[in-house]
This record gives sequence, structure tokens and C-alpha cells, in this order.
Amino acid sequence: MSGNNLVLPIVLWGRTAPTHCISSLLVMDDFSTIITGCHDGQICLWDMTPELEICPRAMLFGHTASITCLSKASACGDKQYMVSASESGEMCLWDVNDGRCIEFTKLACAHTGIQFYQFTIGTQREGRLLCNGHYPEILVVDATSLEVLYSLVSKILPDWISSMSIIRSHRTQEDTVVAVSVTGILKVWIITAEVSKMQDMDPVFEEESKPIYCQGCQSISFCTFTQSSLLVVCSKYWRVFDAGDYSLLCSVPSDTDQVWTGGEFIAADKVIIWTEDGCSYIYKLPASCLPASEHFRSDVGKTKEGSIPPLVYSIASRSDKQLLICPPVTRFFFGRREPFHKLLIQGDSSGRLSLWSIPESSPLQPPSIPAAPAAAELPASTTVSLQEAFDKLTPVSAGIIDQLSVLPGKEEPVKVTASVYIPSQGRLVCGREDGSIILVPATQTAIVQLLQGEHMLRRGWPPHRTLRGHRNKVTCVLYPYQISPRYDQRSLVSGGVDFSVIVWDIFTGEMKHIFCVHGGEITQLIIPPENCSTRVQHCVCSVASDHSVGLLSLRERKCIMLASRHLFPIQVIKWRPADDYLVVGCSDGSVYVWQMDTGALDRCVMGITAVEILNACDELAPATVDALSHSAVNLKQAMTRRSLAALKNMAQHKLQTLATNLLAADNADKGNLPKYSHNALVVQSMKTNLTDPDMHVLFFDVEAVIIQLLTEEAQRPNPMLVSPESLQKSQAGADKGGSFLANKIFKQVKETMKETIKEHLLDEDEEEEEEMRRREEKSKSLSLLEYNLTMDTAKLFMSCLHAWGLNQQLDGICLERLGMLRPHCPISFGLISRGGHMSLMLPTFKESLLYQLSLATGRKLTLSDIVGKGTYGVSRAVTTQHLLSVISLANTLMGMTNATFVGEHMKKAPARPPRPGGTPESPRRTPAVPPQPSCPALQAQIKQGWSQLAAMHCVMLPDLLGLDKYRPPLLEMLARRWQDRCLEVREAAQALLLAELRRIGQSGRKDTIDAWALYLPQYVDMVSSPGTTTESSPQAPPPPDAQPVETKAPEEEMDVTDDDITADGVGGHGGSSAILSPVVQTVLQMGFESSLVESLVQTKYLLSGQHYTSVSDLVSDVLQAEEEDRHTAPQSTEAEERQSSSSGNVRMQTPVRGKVKEPGPEELLRQLQEERTCKVCMDQLVSIVFIPCGHLVVCGDCAASLRHCPICRAIIRGSVRAFMS
Amino acid sequence: MLNPQRSLSELPKMSAASQVERAVLEEEFNWLLKEEVHSVLKQLQDVLKQEASRRFSMPTPGLESQLRQENFILGSSTMDQVKGVLTLQGEALTQADINLKVAKSSQVLHFQFREDKQWKLQQIQDARNHVNQALQLLTSRDDTYHFQTGAEVNKLMDAVMLQLTRARNRLTTPASMTLPELATSGLMKMFTPPMPGDVMVNFYINLSKLCLTVYQLHVLPPNTTKNFKPAGSSVLHNPGAMFELNNNRFEVSHVHKVECVVPWLSDTLVFFTISLQLCQQLKDKISVFSSFWNYRPF
Repeated sequence: MSGNNLVLPIVLWGRTAPTHCISSLLVMDDFSTIITGCHDGQICLWDMTPELEICPRAMLFGHTASITCLSKASACGDKQYMVSASESGEMCLWDVNDGRCIEFTKLACAHTGIQFYQFTIGTQREGRLLCNGHYPEILVVDATSLEVLYSLVSKILPDWISSMSIIRSHRTQEDTVVAVSVTGILKVWIITAEVSKMQDMDPVFEEESKPIYCQGCQSISFCTFTQSSLLVVCSKYWRVFDAGDYSLLCSVPSDTDQVWTGGEFIAADKVIIWTEDGCSYIYKLPASCLPASEHFRSDVGKTKEGSIPPLVYSIASRSDKQLLICPPVTRFFFGRREPFHKLLIQGDSSGRLSLWSIPESSPLQPPSIPAAPAAAELPASTTVSLQEAFDKLTPVSAGIIDQLSVLPGKEEPVKVTASVYIPSQGRLVCGREDGSIILVPATQTAIVQLLQGEHMLRRGWPPHRTLRGHRNKVTCVLYPYQISPRYDQRSLVSGGVDFSVIVWDIFTGEMKHIFCVHGGEITQLIIPPENCSTRVQHCVCSVASDHSVGLLSLRERKCIMLASRHLFPIQVIKWRPADDYLVVGCSDGSVYVWQMDTGALDRCVMGITAVEILNACDELAPATVDALSHSAVNLKQAMTRRSLAALKNMAQHKLQTLATNLLAADNADKGNLPKYSHNALVVQSMKTNLTDPDMHVLFFDVEAVIIQLLTEEAQRPNPMLVSPESLQKSQAGADKGGSFLANKIFKQVKETMKETIKEHLLDEDEEEEEEMRRREEKSKSLSLLEYNLTMDTAKLFMSCLHAWGLNQQLDGICLERLGMLRPHCPISFGLISRGGHMSLMLPTFKESLLYQLSLATGRKLTLSDIVGKGTYGVSRAVTTQHLLSVISLANTLMGMTNATFVGEHMKKAPARPPRPGGTPESPRRTPAVPPQPSCPALQAQIKQGWSQLAAMHCVMLPDLLGLDKYRPPLLEMLARRWQDRCLEVREAAQALLLAELRRIGQSGRKDTIDAWALYLPQYVDMVSSPGTTTESSPQAPPPPDAQPVETKAPEEEMDVTDDDITADGVGGHGGSSAILSPVVQTVLQMGFESSLVESLVQTKYLLSGQHYTSVSDLVSDVLQAEEEDRHTAPQSTEAEERQSSSSGNVRMQTPVRGKVKEPGPEELLRQLQEERTCKVCMDQLVSIVFIPCGHLVVCGDCAASLRHCPICRAIIRGSVRAFMS
Repeated sequence: MLNPQRSLSELPKMSAASQVERAVLEEEFNWLLKEEVHSVLKQLQDVLKQEASRRFSMPTPGLESQLRQENFILGSSTMDQVKGVLTLQGEALTQADINLKVAKSSQVLHFQFREDKQWKLQQIQDARNHVNQALQLLTSRDDTYHFQTGAEVNKLMDAVMLQLTRARNRLTTPASMTLPELATSGLMKMFTPPMPGDVMVNFYINLSKLCLTVYQLHVLPPNTTKNFKPAGSSVLHNPGAMFELNNNRFEVSHVHKVECVVPWLSDTLVFFTISLQLCQQLKDKISVFSSFWNYRPF
């Protein structure tokens, strides 16, 4: 699936909160967000109110290993960015507000600390990240591109840096970086303006290197209150140094069994130090450490160990603490703005955050006993764990099959431990904790969980099937046919903790065979690649926790090979089918090569050879990789399926340049990607930790939903019985579908297209249909509910997206006529960003949303107040995606006959009198039922319902919701879809963009243009050129800090953007200088024909003496002009249609008039050749003119098989041979 | 219990039996957490400390010169074009003598380290730091600490194994570098007499061997018809690999690789392997039990 598909995830988390063993912590500067990273590689965003109430909001997925450090990556401002680094060397830049991944990179070695540093030269401010880690330098990384700019290097005794701190000097331009190496040597680098500007890789050497004898240094921090002391915390003592000459001021040893892990100044005279087991202590510094005191530096050179300064507070970790499996993480943050909180924050392995607000004043203590053994204990201000937040929810967070899993007499549902979705049947297979496997229609069960309706009354709904056979937890499920059609489509394979692998007949529910070959629980089931020997081709490969791998033949029903005795857990399985080798990579880096035929161990190697063998497998067969053992890797793989292209890119470009790529398991992300791209709905199970139950993410591909809807519409039996009005409409719909597909084919594959596109489409589906029929025949015994998958998917999706509760009348229409259902509670959506990174809202997001909205509106809101519409107040990126989806889908449904979701329930309940409008939606599934004539009036009402729905989301939402509850869509994301390859999405984007431009008004548009002006080509020319004194040309440069981030903001489809801009840069030159004004440029960027725009601009100038001052004016004029064109001259519109529909690349083909630079002769030749090649086969020369439309676009061979002109879709009544000479 | 082939009819009998069985298992698991874990941790510490104290101790600032110096003669029996004598002190190469016989002129080039320079072997330093981190993790849980869950032990073992695997990998997989990186590295500037422009050297550790690679280059004429394709990064480049540096194109004409086993490094690798296996075995033991506790049969 390419990155620019519109895919929306909906998450069903289940009742169990994901494991979140906190490994790092960060509080953003405005104290409204806490960020935690965990050992499994996820990042959790928590909202914090000024009253210190905290609530988890979203979880970010994308890292494959434990998060080692987090840091903010932007200065204070409206854009909040943070950067995360993981154990495997990945770095990610995230937008804190909506969880988008903005940039990511991967280095060979892991960072253990990152500090954000902003330097200013004149007015220019740039962000830098200073990184230290498992390498002897400090790397200076650009905070927006994550590129390494230069490094700070030690000349004397270089070693790993264990901790560092940046000392900002207000007096000079120089800032100092102070770091302590693992051997206890203090290093000082000076960053001057020259150094910051430096771009090449020249290293910067240290200014000073001084042994301070601090073994096991944990943290170093600079006193921002006095600007003259440093606190160094080592595991066994902490010390205060003078920040000027680094002389020791005081040293305090720890208690016998305590290990200190960090500390910070909390005031000029107080420090807080915390221990590994989670206790913290606040000490008052002795006078010799206080610059304000006259005794300052009185002890230099005669440090006395053992004098313990008075203890002000002690903060014990929770007394009732649950069992922790690793030491908690503690950090101290203080607010530099209102509210001036001083917060001590602790995160532990159970996903719990505890907060202590440190008071300014010391507790009242009798002065006679200083440092009394029982120092005042500070109670925690707030403490909450992820699970507690989940438990507090009403209704509880839904799991995908919760309604089927609650056993009588038990509170908790049986946990789902493994699952697989079978898209061709729309079924979800869930293996559970108790050993049973449930087969259930995925959309039906999701509807039960998410939406209200009559189904709530039925017990055991939806109809499902239970397979019992495993004696204990099911650990993995595999449906081989889905991955390769060589397998029997009946067989389903499952593995469990009872060491067995069971083969089922999915249609009869019969247990076919039990394999018991392993001596440990089955951890993974894999499919061998295509080109293996025939015997192996019918096997599945099972991996067990006893470090063994088996090849189980489904056909012979026996184990044909068992590779065991690996010393370490198996991390990766690769194949060399040509040599008949099975390559097993273990977690310690050793590689075992097995002969599949004989079962003999061919080799066992380590080191470089092992890496080379693994890499060689990738080169031979890139699609045979599978990474196991680490759950995060599996997760990553799961996500890879969502954006294959980006990840492949990353794997190829980034991973190959690694200097010391540790073991090849890292680039395992490349492969094994079954084609899911044509499925409207994909249900992906995920777990953050191997021990967690599955949670399920429903991925809706809007484009695929639209295709499927249109396909079904096109397949509808000839709608002669239907009223002429709807006939027309349906024709239009089908045409739309056809042209849309044409675009797709034109753009993507230049394959031969010998038939009409529609026929092509039909054919394909007939095959599928036939197969379906076959399948249905086979599966006669299966009693599962038959239903229309496409309509069900659309129903679920629309019901989740609709902004309920804004317009009572419309809600009524939606429920009654359109058959949509109201959600139980706000739904957890997600956001997919670059490189398969993903942000998923936790179910608790609604709590913090409620709080925010209540605060904004000034009254207490209840959960039902924000159902549906609440999500439009979450973030701008989310709003954009949702509005685009809902509008494009509503438009599609509007164009269909009988597009209501009420109908299909009819056929399941024939006893009830059929509703007048209820034609069964899926004629191919129930061919016996004759299509009923539907009442035209009702049809019209349905259409009107959809159009109202679309209109409300397109234009009325901001007014209805109020700006405090509405995050407007992002213009740049909409603009990017202006030329989306899917017509429906494109139309929705255009409508939305215009609506949004209208909404923000003139000042808003001016701001937008100002903000983007820098990136528009030829903008500078315009400023200097005379005659453009329109008010839209900004006199003052736009605020500089917003710029660099703006460009990078939403890059989901970077491939498209860059090309577009450069192409327009050349093509956009007009004759007069007016054409260069930003307004016109913006409009040209949108893809309008430049000649049209140019003539409009000139007309306007001639008529009124003024230029266009706003984009929307110009756009509406252009649209109007186009509309008129279309009416007056249908012939010429065809050409335009073609231009706008083949999205982007046509601009290359049709030379734009008025180019300043003439294209070179080669370019011209290429263009000419391109113009003359057949647009269907892309091979021969064009030679046939169609009548009546007159298009000369195809060759003789292709023309024979066409009935409609591929350009304008006009019926071909005749053709004439043409010769180009 | 563990035999999945028993039929379902045996189940009631089994669950009765497993009541007793489970009590025994619980006792055994407690023993594992209380006794066995600590004994394994002790063993691990012994193995690693022995290693660390011998080779991987943190250099105390100012006392570097007290480290023992070892000389290694690098050469091969089959070819004698390159011979090197290297002195290893701790993690740094303090002296190096390289003799290079140029084939065509039969002239012997001789280089050695400048007096003021020494070359740090980053691989050894990284391995040392990783081992020390592993040791820190191990010592943080002494005999008095009571492990309460298997998950806790697993977490600790995971952390230790991560460090140990990294330490071992640093020794077994040397950094692969591109030729321009090699040419611009500080190593080229360390020799007296200075290295001529057409010779490059590289030192690294591969498994237990200290390796010296010498590349002889020749400049490709700018108008050469040869298909220029810069070589990627590799541990050992082959003759014919090309690269571009300062607008000059070079091609590797000869590659000489000589090596010498460092005995203590091979010991180290063995110790790493032993410790990793100890960790893994402990994890396996835990996992046997945890499948009983966490997933009770239905």
C-alpha cells in the first residue's frame, strides 16, 4: 500500500491496558503533556491539567526496540515536537499534539541521552540535538532533519559520554557543553556561532579535559538559579562542582545499599537526588556550595567526605507498590512559565506515573534537630497507571469479541491471544486464552463493539463458530491460503502453548490433524517462499520456544524436518530455496544453516560470516524474511504492510549505510508483505508485549471502500426497472468508477488494456464471483452469517465518522433512512504517518478531551455530548483525514442507487414486512432474489440524506461545533490531495479546501500565503518586480520560527510533493508580472491550467484595474470559467477532464503555453513521442480517430477492443484511420 | 501435563494429579527464584569479573602507563609483502611498525607510529564498556535481594544479555567503512614517515584476531574509459574497488591482510559465550515455570 492512500485506523484496545514498562520520561515545557517511552518501544502521551490530573491520551508506535531517551525538539511555541531514540539506534521526530511522525532516521549505535539546544545568530534560530550514547563523541544533529551535522570529539582519553549538560551563557555568544565520560573525566566543549554554522563533518575538539574521579556517573546538571555550580550524581555519591573551574565544592556519599541514579537543583540552595529503587531526597546544600554565601568555595581542596547536609524532604516511592520488574525512572522538571510547578515524576514498570509537586518552602522543623532521621515525607500529588485509567472508563474499553468472550459468572472476558483476519471472507479468527478459536464476521463484531443498535439485544450475536482443540492458550494462528494460493483454502493452522500445532478445516470446523513435534510452546507459524521444492511448498514452518524449528507438511500430515538444539531463541528464519537451505538466525547472532531435504545441519557460523549469510538470503529472495521473538519487530512488520514503499526505502537507503550494523535482523522489515492493498477493511491484531492479549486495529482504506462500492454499483443488474432519474445517476456512478480506474491504470501500470475498463473490471469480478460461488458451495455446512461485506464496512465506517448530535434532523435521517448507527462512546481513532509510524488514541483519550472541551465551553459535558463530533476537536491532522473520508464516501453513496444500510438486514429476517426501499444490496450473493423496484421518492430522500451529510461535514461543521471544539483541517494536507488519484477523494479535498479557505477569511488566507511564501518558486522575483502592489504581497517577512517546521509538517506522500513543486516552478511562468503574484502562484500550484488562470488575471486587470487579492476569489472564478467552458464546448472539456484526471503527470505531457525556458530538443522529442504513443498499450503509435469525440489516442490494435473512448468515455460510433506524416 | 498427545478424556484425571504437581512446582519455582537465580548471578559475575579485571578494567586516569604492553607480530606464511609489529596497551595501539614490500620496485617501505600518537581500538573500548554495564546490572542485585517474579529475572537477564551480545558483536563484527572514510581517518596521519598517498592502512579486531589491512592504490586517469563505480562500505575491500576523494579517482590495486591471534581476546570471546549461555539457560528455566503460572489450563 503506497503511502498516499487515505487509511484510517480504528482501535479496539480491550479491557487490558497494554504493557508499558517505562524506560524514559519527558515533560513538555508547557506542562500539559507528559511523554513516556517504554521497554517495548512504544511511546505514551499523557495529558496533564494545571491541577496535575493526568490521563493517557495516545500511544505512538514505530520504534522496534526499547526507548532509551526522549527530548523536546522545538523551542517553546505552538508547534510542539519531541524526539525519541531507541536501543537499536532509531531516532524519531514526533508532533506531540497529534502524534504524527515527522522525520525518522537510524544510526548504527544507540543514543542514551539527547539534549535540545537552540542557538541564535541574529534573527535566525535553529534547533540542534546533542546526542551521547554508545560512542565516544557527542553528535550534533539537526532538530528538524535529524541529520548529523558535526561531532564534538575528545582528544584526550576519549571514551563513552555517560552524561552531559549545556551551560548557557547570557554574557557571551558561547555556550558550553559539559560532559562526563564513563571513566570519570570531565570534558568541556565550547559551541560558538562559527561552530554552530559549520556544516561539514570537521570534528570539534574539547576545550578542557579534567579528571574528576567520578566513576559510574549517572547525571550531570547545571544550576540555572545561580549559574555557577554543577551537580554530578554518581551511583555511590553526589558532588557539587564550581561551574567556573570545576573544583569540587562538596561530596556526599550514599547509604550503604542505595544506588543514586540522578539529581537536579530545585533551588539555589537545594538539590533533589533520587535512587534506583524510586526514593528521592531533598538536601539543603552547605554554605560552601552557595555562591551567595560568604563561605562559597571555602572548602575547595579540602573536601571532607561523609558530612551529610541536612535532609529537607524524603520522598518514598509508593508503599503499596505492586511488584516491579525493573527499577523505576525518576526525573525532575520545573516550569519556566505559569504554572511554576516543580515536579518530580516517576514512571515504573507497571505503566504507572507518580507526580510530586515540590513545595517552595521547607517544612517547619524544630531547629534543634537538624537533619532529623525522619525528614518530612512528601505525599504524592497524583498517581495513575495505564491500567487504572482503563479500569475507570465507563463503558469499559471494548475488545473485538468481548461480547462472545464473557463467560457466565465471570467478570473479565477470555483474552484473545492470537488472531488473523481473512479479508476474502471478511472473517476474523481469534485464538483465545482458554484454547478455543472463534471465527466471526469482522465487521459485524466490530459493529457490536462500537455502535448501538438492535444487535445489542441479541445474545451471542453475531453468529460465530468455535473451534475447540487446544488444551491451553493459543499462541499463533495462520491462514496459509491468504499468503499463497498454493495451499488448500480450507486449512487453518494454529499453534498453542500445549506444544501442538493443529490443522483445521475452516469451513466445517473439523480438526484435521495435530502435530506434536516441538518441546515448547509454539511462538510463530510461517510460510515458506514460492520457489522451494514442491514438498516444502506444502509445509508450514513452526517455531517453538524450545528453540526448535519444524517443517510441517499439511499435505502429508507429517513433520518433514525438525531443526532443534539451537542454543538461543530463534530470531529470524530465512530461506535459500535454490540451495534447499533453511537459515535460522538466533538471538545471540549465530546462524544455523539446515538442509531442508535431509534435515542435516550444514553450517553454524557467527560474526561477519553470519551477517553475510543472512544478507545474502535477502538479496536472493527479498520476500522471505520474518523476524520473530521481539514483539515490537512483529508490530513493525504489521505496520510495514500499511506503508510498504516508505519502509522499503528506509531499509534500502538508511540501513545500507550503517557503519557497524550489528546483526542483520534489523533489516528484516523488508519482506513478507502479502497484498492487502485492495481490501477496504483490514483487521490487524497487535500486541505491545508478547505477554499481552491482542488488541485489534481496523484499517479502513477509503479509496478501496469507494472502489468496492462503485464496483458493486456497476455490477448491479441492469437498472431498467428503476426510475429514469436513478438510472441516470447510476450510470454516472458507474462512469465515475470507470474513469477513476482508468486514471489508476494510466498512472500506475502501463500494462495492456485490451478491453473497456469497465469490462475489464467486470471480468475480474466475475472470476472472483465464481470463486465465491465455488467457495460457498463448498462451505454449505458453514452456518455463519452471510452478509454484504462492502456495505457493512461502509456502514461501520460512516457511523464512526459522522459528527453525531449537531443536527437532530440529520441524525434522524441517518438512523432511520440511511441505516447508520450511533456509537456507544467516542471511538479511538489513529493516525498513520511516515514510514509506518502510527499514533493510536487510547480509549482514555475521551476523558482528557472531555476535560478540554468542558474547559473551552465553560460547562460540564458528558460523554454522550461528544460522541462522534468529539473527534473533530482532537487534532487538525485527524480532522483532515476524517472529513476527507466522510465527504468522499458520502458523495460516492449519493451517486449509488439505493445506498442505504437498512436494506441488507432485511434478507436475514424475511418474516418482517419488507421496507419499501429495501432492495437487497448484494445481488451477486443472493442471485435468487429478484431486484425489487424501489420507490423513486425514497431514492431521492436517501440521496438527499447523503448530500445533507456531506454538506454538513464540508461547510457547516465549524459553525455548528464552534471553534473551540473544532480543529480545522490542515490546508497543506488538503492541497496535497487536490490531485489525488481517486476522483472522489479529490473532489472532497477540493471542496473542503475551498470551504476552509472561505472560512479563514481574507486575513487567514493572507497568513497562510505569508507562511508558505518562502517556499513558493519565484516569490523573490515578485517582491522586486514593479507593478505588483497588491496587498497580499507581504511587506514584512513572515515569522521565522514557524517556517522550517511548516515545510516538513505532513509528509505522507513526499514522493508526490517534491515533483509537483519543481514541475510547477518551471511551468508557472506567465507573460506578465501579475502572473507571478503569490495568489496566482498558489492557484497554479493547485494544478489549474495556466493559460486559463493567466487570461482570467488579465481580464480582471483590464476590467477593474486590480489584481486578484485572494486565492479563493481566483479559484472560484477559474472554476466558474471551467464550468462555462464545459457547457459551451463539450469537446474541449474532454481534454481538460483528461488533464485534471490523470493527476499530475499530464502536465508533463501537454506543454504549458508561455514557458520562459524552451525545453531542450531531447525534451521536445520525448514529448512528441509520448504524444504519439497509444495511451492504452503505451507501445505503438496512435492511428485511430474516434467518432464522434474525435480523440486520436490509440493504435489500431487497441481500438478494436474499445467501445468507449478511454479519454472522454464517449461511446464510439465509428473510427477513422489516421496517419501522421 | 506436558504431553499434548494425551486425549481429552484423560483430562479430569490429569487435573487432579496436577494439583499435587502444581504444589511441587510452586516449591521448585520458589527455590529457583531464591537460590538458583543468585547462584547463576554469582557465576556470571565471577566469569565476567575475571574477564573484566584482567582486561576490561576501567582505566584509572593517570595510571594508563601501568597497563601491560603486548607485542604482536602480524604476518602470513604465504606472502611476505606486509609485515607489522604492533604494541597493544589496554585498548590502544601504542606502537606500530609496518614493513611494506612494493611488488614492482622491490623497495621496502617502512612506517611507524609517531611518538606522540597512539591509536585507540574503539572495538575494545566499546566491548569493555558493554561488559562493565552488564556487571553493573549484575551487582545491583546482590544476595540479599529477593526476586519475586520470573518476569523480574527475565527483565534483568534481557538487559544483561543485551550488553553481552553487544560486547561480543563489537569484537566479532568489525565496522565496515567506505574507502574515502578510511582515507580521511586519523589513522593515516599517525605515521612517520607520512604515508604516501597511494597506501592506506586499517586496524581492526575480527573475532580474536588483530588484523592489519594495507591497501595499495593507483590513481585512475580522469579520462579513463573504465566504468567508475564507487565501492560501498565493507570490512575488507577487494582489489578493483574504486573511490573518489578530492576529485581524484582511485582504484585499489593490491590488498594485503595480515593478522595475529590475541590470546586474551579468544578467552574473552569464550567467556562471553559462556555467560550468554548461562543467562539463556536461566531464562529457559524461568519460562518453563511461567507457562504454568500464567496460563492455567481451562
